[in-house]
Amino acid sequence: MTGKTEDREVEFISLMLQRAVSEMAAEVCEQCGKCASGCPVSRHMEDFNPRRIIAKVALGRIEELLKSEEIWTCTSCMKCKERCPENISPYDVILVLRNMAVRAGLPHPESYDQTIEAVVDNGVTQEPLTVRTRTGERHDRSSLSLNPIDKPQDMEEFKEVLLSIVEAGKPR
Amino acid sequence: MKYALYLGCTIQTEQYGCEISARETLPRLGVELVDMVGTSCCGFPAFSSLSTLGWWYLSARNIAIAEGQGLDMLALCNGCYESLVQTKHNLDEDSNLKAFINDKLSKEGLEYKGDSKIVHPISLLHDIIGVESIGEKVKKPLEGLKLASHPGCHAIRPSLLGMPDKAEHPEKLDTLLKALGAGTMDYPEKTDCCGSMLASTAASTTLTITAEKLKAVEGYGFDGLVTTCPFCFQMFDGRQEEINDMIDFLLDTDSDEVELPVFYYTQLLGLAMGLKPDRLGLQLNMSPVDRILDKIEEGPNR
Repeated sequence: MTGKTEDREVEFISLMLQRAVSEMAAEVCEQCGKCASGCPVSRHMEDFNPRRIIAKVALGRIEELLKSEEIWTCTSCMKCKERCPENISPYDVILVLRNMAVRAGLPHPESYDQTIEAVVDNGVTQEPLTVRTRTGERHDRSSLSLNPIDKPQDMEEFKEVLLSIVEAGKPR
Repeated sequence: MKYALYLGCTIQTEQYGCEISARETLPRLGVELVDMVGTSCCGFPAFSSLSTLGWWYLSARNIAIAEGQGLDMLALCNGCYESLVQTKHNLDEDSNLKAFINDKLSKEGLEYKGDSKIVHPISLLHDIIGVESIGEKVKKPLEGLKLASHPGCHAIRPSLLGMPDKAEHPEKLDTLLKALGAGTMDYPEKTDCCGSMLASTAASTTLTITAEKLKAVEGYGFDGLVTTCPFCFQMFDGRQEEINDMIDFLLDTDSDEVELPVFYYTQLLGLAMGLKPDRLGLQLNMSPVDRILDKIEEGPNR
């Protein structure tokens, strides 16, 4: 019943978008600004404003959003989602827009690509780091009596499955 | 009380104080921590942004491993916790999504059923173990210290996922600090973000957000800031020196440097239990914690 991963990917992203914005067609967002007033990023960056993002989505200015840097500067604190009196979640809308931007082949933070590459290859975002103490001594997991980190056991299988999902729907 | 211990990337690869102090203290409160085998990253925030389906797959995969062990899952990191709880919510609500994910999981012989609970350390300590049991283990009360609690965003929002504490007025971490003999008080910035998720896209704004909270907490006269989240801890503790190097720029005003000790709750729990700082990974805290450690060592009647 599960079908091709590509089709399912498109279906799930569409569903996410539908859930995130379905009510807005009826102009449920009153632009009250509670989302922006609680937003830690809006306070510092004029270009980021969750209220404005919702307005643009409602007006169909999706392409402009997908090409903007602002969809990449949310801290995911979820105050907007928590405080919206109409249960709209700018946070979830932003996640959908990010997913769409990647599939449209538009610019996005390189660091996210690098993280995904690392997880696909190793199961974790990075190998364990050597850290230092306040007095400058260096330590790793073993010198702190911690066991080696846990990772997927069959890395090849893990990689194959994860890649089949991550690559689905992406431009070639 | 037996839990599959899910550590995730940040704790396992750099925030060792979080793991060390949890492993040292929780078993003393009757918690058996069972190591998980074959886990991976939870998928937050890179996969949630670029491949939401990949995010749900990764989180579901980790939950499936705990389910295979027949255990509820203790997720120490707020980012992982939110990922796991959000994914569980989605899969439990949407049988199509669950079927799709399970089809993928079957290739590794795994299955997501939905019967393991995801537990946050604040819930474990406050709701399951309880402050009375914690109080009974206190040998060196943290009397005379006034500490600010920082539960972190993903321990309190969104409330529709049934988070460990209230979104607008979280109090459990405060109650847990009081159980150790410390003083706390509410402060306006308590529910504010640490800023860490902006690190890759708006580096200086990230530090401004962190610096503002550190300055506010210090300004209210707190002796230190306490969290359970490795992302938040990394910002407040690990990057405090970097913030001080550019504090005038970050806050856009002439500002004194911040000197605020930052702790994992489990580190303070261990100190109150009478454990030595090195057994709690406190040598790894980069913020100026030494004066607090001395104060606790001397006891309240110095």
